[in-house]
Amino acid sequence: MEAIQSFEQLEQYRERLKASYNKDLPTVMICFGTGCQANGARDVADAFRHEIEEQGLKVGVDIGFKTTGCHGYCENGPLVVLRPRDILYLRVAPKDVPEIVEKSIKQGEIIERLAYKDVNTKEIIAQYHTIPFYAHQKRIALRNIGNIDPASIEDYLLHDGYKGLAKALTLDPDAIISEVEASGLRGRGGGGFPTGSKWRSCKAVPSDVHYVMCNGDEGDPGAFMDRSIMEGDPHSVIEGMIIGAYAIGASQGYIYVRDEYPLAVKNLLSAIGSARERGFLGRNILGTDFDFDIKISRGGGAFVCGESSALMRSLEGKVGEPRAKYIRSVEKGLYDKPSVLNNVETWNNVPEIILKGSKWYAGFGTKGSKGTKVFSLVGKVNNTGLVEVPMGITIRDLVDKIGGGVLGGKAFKAVQTGGPSGGCIPKALADLPIDFDSLTEAGSMMGSGGIIVMDEETCMVDVAKYFIGFLVEESCGKCTPCRDGLPRMLSILTAITEGKGKEGDIDTLEELCEVLSYGALCGLGTSAANPVLSTIKYFREEYDAHILDRKCPAGVCKALITYRIDPDACTGCTLCAKKCPQECISGERKQTHIIDETKCIRCGVCKDVCNFEAVKVE
Amino acid sequence: MEKVTIIIDGREVEGIKDQSVLDVARENGIPIPALCYHPEVSTSGGSCRVCLVEAHQNERMRLVTSCNYPVRAGLEIRTDTDLVRRIRKGVLELLLARVPDSEVIRDMARDYGVGEPRFFKDEGEDNRYKCIACGLCTLVCEEVVGVCAISMLNRSREKAPGTPYHKASNACIGCGACVYVCPTSAISMKDEGDTRTIWGKQFTMIRCSVCGNPYIPDAQVDWIVKTTGKDKAFFEKCPDHR
Amino acid sequence: MDVDIKKVNEIISRYDQSEESLLAILQDFQREFHYVPEEGMKRLSDVLYVPESKIYAMGTFYKTLSLEPRGKHTVKVCMGTACHLKGAGQILEAIERELGVKRNHTTVDKRYTIESVNCVGACAMAPVVVVNENYYGHMRPSKIMDVLNKYK
Repeated sequence: MEAIQSFEQLEQYRERLKASYNKDLPTVMICFGTGCQANGARDVADAFRHEIEEQGLKVGVDIGFKTTGCHGYCENGPLVVLRPRDILYLRVAPKDVPEIVEKSIKQGEIIERLAYKDVNTKEIIAQYHTIPFYAHQKRIALRNIGNIDPASIEDYLLHDGYKGLAKALTLDPDAIISEVEASGLRGRGGGGFPTGSKWRSCKAVPSDVHYVMCNGDEGDPGAFMDRSIMEGDPHSVIEGMIIGAYAIGASQGYIYVRDEYPLAVKNLLSAIGSARERGFLGRNILGTDFDFDIKISRGGGAFVCGESSALMRSLEGKVGEPRAKYIRSVEKGLYDKPSVLNNVETWNNVPEIILKGSKWYAGFGTKGSKGTKVFSLVGKVNNTGLVEVPMGITIRDLVDKIGGGVLGGKAFKAVQTGGPSGGCIPKALADLPIDFDSLTEAGSMMGSGGIIVMDEETCMVDVAKYFIGFLVEESCGKCTPCRDGLPRMLSILTAITEGKGKEGDIDTLEELCEVLSYGALCGLGTSAANPVLSTIKYFREEYDAHILDRKCPAGVCKALITYRIDPDACTGCTLCAKKCPQECISGERKQTHIIDETKCIRCGVCKDVCNFEAVKVE
Repeated sequence: MEKVTIIIDGREVEGIKDQSVLDVARENGIPIPALCYHPEVSTSGGSCRVCLVEAHQNERMRLVTSCNYPVRAGLEIRTDTDLVRRIRKGVLELLLARVPDSEVIRDMARDYGVGEPRFFKDEGEDNRYKCIACGLCTLVCEEVVGVCAISMLNRSREKAPGTPYHKASNACIGCGACVYVCPTSAISMKDEGDTRTIWGKQFTMIRCSVCGNPYIPDAQVDWIVKTTGKDKAFFEKCPDHR
Repeated sequence: MDVDIKKVNEIISRYDQSEESLLAILQDFQREFHYVPEEGMKRLSDVLYVPESKIYAMGTFYKTLSLEPRGKHTVKVCMGTACHLKGAGQILEAIERELGVKRNHTTVDKRYTIESVNCVGACAMAPVVVVNENYYGHMRPSKIMDVLNKYK
């Protein structure tokens, strides 16, 4: 394939692709996201290939077959979608494949066993877009994911790929920036800085070189939307970066991806290769005099490298330590040149904004937070996965309507947002709209969009300890408050969870929080207090229970709990006694078993193996 | 060079655009404590956080490290507010808990009312002696000496200066610049007779042909000769007898 | 340990000879040798004109790099928030107990290295364990050895 030399050629090529595409062809689409692959999607795909061959069907003529990016409903993978009838099958195994081909594809029947069954209403729903998890979503960032084969640039072009770029290249760069400004798009990586004005300030700095960069170092635990976008729709990120580069006058771009995301790296590399072949990257893009190319750089397992100045140091081949941002990176960024760094989801929104217009985009969301946002809804919730909704949805709607409520009918306690820089928002604030400003006001932050649902069995002191422990490991160690303050906080929190807390500990924690908030060098340190301050603010009684009563109300903190076997529920099956690594469970067959508390290490194995829910935590 | 006027603690003072607030303050006799900053090392600063001050600009206040905050028109600095004292005190308490043996830190902390830190060494925490991990030694070695024999290793609590593989470094010339610049005298250098030991490496010292005192490691002389083209004979005498 | 210097040179030659390639080359060393060998860093210093101390510092800073040889199989226990809430701590303890080594260490027989990692982005399947490049979701303390025993 030769490079496309002009806008006309691009549209002609797109028309040719559309003409040869039969949208009524029965098509099997297998999710090849990391989650589904882990659940065995590759075997399912092989089974389909085998079955198609066995039945003498011709791919492209009798049946369509492709692997796609993540649908977000990872928990229930491997997912298989049948087009054009829009049927979604969950947890598909290779043994189900002949039946799917025979019944669903050839005869159009629905196999109820594989369809979605609502946990609450028990209703069976086979239609993809009527499943509650999907019905309330508005997909802009995730527009192509699950529909297209990420390895195929043709598939992307078929779905209006690079149309936004072609339009952008006919516009004046300043007009593009104005359009992005008017859309109200704010950085999806956490800070929520207005994207358009970032571009404008960068463009205004005179320099021989400008850079654009994509932050794919998604580090917030509990967030994986960027991974899904990079894996499932890599061209959308590339297209956004090309538009941004044209707008600010950059000729080199970088994508910094976590090394923990090998599939994202693979798909991006292949997408960059095919974009280059087709003339979307390289010299004289689409026949214009605009040159631009992109390099991929793999991160090295350092959370701090998600911080912009640290990311740039890492891109330069150095230790990823942040530096003071008194001079902003739009002035002096990568190699001290004016640079724009945006997150994956931000870049991915840009082509749609250019193509459909800022007015259209700004029609979604709230006054201060326009558009949609992808959230990863995880933790103690029935439907976990990636969801995209307009900004401003309430926590309650997200958890109940899309998430299907708290797992196992337990009581909802809080959501944690914003990763280690964010905080916990209690049930009392469940009607809070989720947008940049409301979350910040509540003592948390948007971060990259992780929403972790917590129930009555989640200990909030343990959560605070968890995040501080995370940050202790991830601190780069450059500045005193972060390097030496966080370990002190961790010691105090650990003591509290071990029942060794003292009166005054909360005050000391708050003082250390202030030193971090005001005194730390980078965003990792200045926001590190949030998990502690927000849990103290909303769940002080849990701290008090640990410190004053030596009790963990949620039954999590090991030193404060005991495992006990409920004599009414125990059937004397002996399984727990066999599996106990301490050999501290005794009892005759068919008799109630007893745990020797003095030897018990609270490893949880007995509770895990018990089939009768007889092991209780107190 | 563009001159700008800023206000520090209510006084109008003059500096050069993008010069550090700390330099301007010191030129005007306004004291701000600092540890990790050295005026001769352009990349230094920003790590110890002792020199924090309030910066008021564009109707916004934030705490900044004066050692690397650039002087710009319209800036007002306050060096001694309650907030500044409180955060500095917190930082010094953390430093003192880290290196209780350091006299420098102990004195500085006392000025801010910290006698004994509330935090104690965790079990198994290694004795860091006096190092506050500010990194100034490594910056001098790279930027001023130009050999880059030591770097800041590890991260988080374990961050510390060291040589590659914790072995004697091929690059080290034994000049001792790191020792002279260390704000807490944490680096050990021993001169015994004709031998200097530093960073686990031994150097032979050259004696002054006049006074007979050993005064410079031969490796340092070789390095200077190599990089500057100076005549080796120049180093036969110590600075006092040249 | 003997390191094939030819392999070292081959890995270095995959990239532009600039400091920018440093991290990528170190990561390729890690993949090839299961650690970053001293010989590799020395060679890299000579070729890229980057001081050895800086390369070594990278090796100590980035968590995906290891300066000690790792085991044949890397067992990563995800410690992301979702995994933490769903019992990742007990999974890690079970692995430590069963294999008799602590996290970030290698078993005596050099078969497994246990690592705790901060979120592998597979939160919907929490708790997650990754062995080499294979993901295992919905792990339970009692099931972990069934998974590990697949890796000889």
